[in-house]
Amino acid sequence: MLPMDHIDLMGLIDQADKKTKLFIMQVSFDRNVYTLDCLKKSAYRFIDKFSIDFDMSGDQINCQLNFDSKLTQKQCEFYVDQFKKEILDQDLRESIKRETEPVRNLVLAQAFSKTNLIKDE
Amino acid sequence: MLKLHGKIEHFQSDFKGHRLLYITNNINIPEVIRSKYALLVETEIPEGYGAYFSFNKKNLNVNNFYHLKSAFNYLLEGDIVRVDDRGNFATLFRVNSTNNTILLTTRCNHYCLMCSQPPTTEDDSWIFSETMNLLEMIPDTTKVMGYSGGEPTLYGDDFVRLIKKTKDYLPNTVIDVLTNGRAFSDYSFSKKIEKANHPNCTFGIPLYSYDPVNHDYIVQARGAFDETIKGIVNLKKCNQRVEIRIVIHKQTINDLIETCSYIARNLLFVDHVALMGLEITGFTRANLDKLWIDPYEYKDILSKAVNILNSYNIETSVYNHQICTVNNDVMENYHQSISDWKNEYVKECEGCTKINHCGGFFSSSKKYKYSKYINAIT
Amino acid sequence: MSKFQTIEFYKEEKNNYNLLPFRFSNLSDDSILLTNLVGEYFISSRETLEDLVKHKLKKNDLNYKLLRSKHFLYDEQTKVAKDLLSIKYKTKLNNLSQFTSLHMFVVSLRCEHSCPYCQVSRQSDDKHKYDMSREVASKSIDLALNSPSKNIKIEMQGGESLLNFEIIQFIVEESKKRNTEKNLTFVIATNLALINKEILDYCHEHQIYISTSLDGPKEIHNKNRPRPGRNSYEKTIEGISLAREVLGLDKVSALMTTTQLSLNYPKEIINEYVKNNFNEIFLRPLSPYGFAIKTKKFSEYDVEQWFDFYKQGMEYIIELNRNGLPFKEFYTSIILRKIFTFDDPGYVDLMSPAGIGIAAVIYNYDGDVYASDESRMLAEMGDKKFKIGNVIDNNYEEIFFSEELLSPLEESFAYSAPMCNDCAFENYCGSDPVYHHAMHGDFVGRKPESEFCKRNMNIFKYIFNQMQSDPFIEKLFMSWIK
Repeated sequence: MLPMDHIDLMGLIDQADKKTKLFIMQVSFDRNVYTLDCLKKSAYRFIDKFSIDFDMSGDQINCQLNFDSKLTQKQCEFYVDQFKKEILDQDLRESIKRETEPVRNLVLAQAFSKTNLIKDE
Repeated sequence: MLKLHGKIEHFQSDFKGHRLLYITNNINIPEVIRSKYALLVETEIPEGYGAYFSFNKKNLNVNNFYHLKSAFNYLLEGDIVRVDDRGNFATLFRVNSTNNTILLTTRCNHYCLMCSQPPTTEDDSWIFSETMNLLEMIPDTTKVMGYSGGEPTLYGDDFVRLIKKTKDYLPNTVIDVLTNGRAFSDYSFSKKIEKANHPNCTFGIPLYSYDPVNHDYIVQARGAFDETIKGIVNLKKCNQRVEIRIVIHKQTINDLIETCSYIARNLLFVDHVALMGLEITGFTRANLDKLWIDPYEYKDILSKAVNILNSYNIETSVYNHQICTVNNDVMENYHQSISDWKNEYVKECEGCTKINHCGGFFSSSKKYKYSKYINAIT
Repeated sequence: MSKFQTIEFYKEEKNNYNLLPFRFSNLSDDSILLTNLVGEYFISSRETLEDLVKHKLKKNDLNYKLLRSKHFLYDEQTKVAKDLLSIKYKTKLNNLSQFTSLHMFVVSLRCEHSCPYCQVSRQSDDKHKYDMSREVASKSIDLALNSPSKNIKIEMQGGESLLNFEIIQFIVEESKKRNTEKNLTFVIATNLALINKEILDYCHEHQIYISTSLDGPKEIHNKNRPRPGRNSYEKTIEGISLAREVLGLDKVSALMTTTQLSLNYPKEIINEYVKNNFNEIFLRPLSPYGFAIKTKKFSEYDVEQWFDFYKQGMEYIIELNRNGLPFKEFYTSIILRKIFTFDDPGYVDLMSPAGIGIAAVIYNYDGDVYASDESRMLAEMGDKKFKIGNVIDNNYEEIFFSEELLSPLEESFAYSAPMCNDCAFENYCGSDPVYHHAMHGDFVGRKPESEFCKRNMNIFKYIFNQMQSDPFIEKLFMSWIK
């Protein structure tokens, strides 16, 4: 498992009347290691848990995770962890897709073609 | 077990080569066709018959006389036999049999560990010509007939001719062809078979494992798996009936469940799957240590494999097993199947209430190796 | 002297392999589900998955052999994978060409029950206002017979369909008269309160199936389904019995609807079905349409709560089977068929492309055509998004090739949707644009927020984990795919 940059627990914002804590967490990634697409796809899966702001600076992609107000700190930390794991998964998926896209197109083309499938090779 | 082949020691004939003859008891066969008949001699010896067979007399002062050993006294009116100038005798067709199978060649491009008909390399294409003639002799009321070998498709386009002629002369006869199916990986060859348009021909093709390495190993031929799969697919695309055959032994048993899953996922369109017990003959005896596993010990695997095929509604049969060595849950798929010229029972079967439903044993199994769990069901 | 080669002789020397397209999703804490291009699966550890993708998997590993035979990878040993995948893919898609097999006719909106979850409002006795006319029925029949599907099921529902029995007879007889080449099946969906021998004799004569509602034991059923006299349950049981007497056991089926009340009694509800000689049950989720939303019955629902209900129900059903009583859960069997076969069960809500129009269509009493039963329910709430035409005003092409149908089909195609695109379960799932439109405002919704997604994912994982844990359950589930 490749090392990732630190999480910064930042900003416990008290809402004036409700005293609800709204958690915001920072995670950073090296763009030479993970693509932006990878991060976006992973973030999408947590769209009901946090929204995300991306900020690029040099080789770093800085992600600010704005958690849903209903979540406790412990839950937020859990989801950050899950987010990082999902990024690993998305990265794996990108590898698979890269390698298999041509053969997928081949198989589909064959499936849709009208010619005989088992030819002499 | 019926003896279908043998050597005749006492005979007297100046006929050169080999010929086909009908068996008859009839001393009044019209003279003009008598030469096609072999008369089973009792008292009279009318002239003009193609041959005279006797079981008790070793010598008769008549041309074309053959002394047959009593092992052949099962022969009936209408059976067809072959004799040659070296005394070789073979029963090719029996009117009373439901298992007539014609061996087209002993050549083969496989060398299966458990082959019951070990391959040779000599040119035996004379058998092909003979069979083309035989087709004109076999009664067209014959219900079922089989072609086997060796590998019948080694005849190439001649094989297609054979199928066509079979259709023409025996249009109502169901044909089973045993083949490794590899020739059909050539789509144009499959098309030719489609064109022959036999109304009721099934190709029985072995597939021993989902794992190509294991399949190739068992049939002792590289690339066999791929060509067999392609052959099966092509035959189905050409609207032919295909049966997949799996002989169960120590090399196929561990893969059996996964192989049946593989068939269900990829070859769902096959017409039948036959799961078969091992016959202890031919190469099996030489490879017994690699092949033998007591069926009783694999009965749960067999049950699971059958269950998978049944779940997918694939027509499945269990052949060549004794009822006391299989679980009850396969009985719906169980068939009493050992050919009538091969099957027998052992002493442990005495008193068994299921004996009439059971296929019994191959004679070879009885002689050399069978399950140690055989016991009469009461 | 052996003329036989060892197994080593038949192995390809080269060690490299190539991946075939596949997806993966977590199944449990330590197992991952992999599915290939055509939905065949393999359950893997994290380690094996990573080895596989990084090309580190060893050839003598059993997993390697299995993955090769299940078409997750290919190598020099065998070259038939791509051809077989093409064939399988084509087989899967073939079903699409046989479209629209279920045609529903709303023969009347009138009903004397007042079930809180119903989408139909309590209508009056005004037959003319709320009954299907002969003209509408006739045009609908022609549209139905125009479908490419060889097998057509005509289901007559309502309201209470038997309140317009004359039109039912018209539909059955006219369909048979006009049919030239299709296999027709007829079903009447009814609460059975009005059933009598005369109607049943007619059904027997025309081989019509009966589908009714049975929500559970008396207390639950009557509470869910109030009617004047408060005897819906008694009438239903009586009706089932009478129907079976005339039509036979297999011609009468029952559906339950799940309410908040039902959630606490899965075992009791199943027992009611067992008691009444049914051999299957559909543990349905509550649909968010109609009265359910109006009366806020739906908002009380929690995905977890329903899933608990489902799990308890399944546990009990498995136990029944273990004790020798064959009993099946319908939705689970639909999913199992999708997992193990290439047959599309044609269940509207679990198809991609969506089942709307493709699997089913509904002709309303007033001639309006909707893309599915749920589409009609949505319309009753004021949203006619999925109205695809009218039998009087539009012809077949105008209806079935309308933008109203084609847009949601295209836009909701699961493979193209975010998250679904990656999901290992996508082959077994569906897109349900009607649900997502009703709940989330667009045809696709955001799947992480979608209760449709959560519910189905829960069920998929449950099914695989159960099969892994117990060979009896694996065998049982396999028996449900036929």
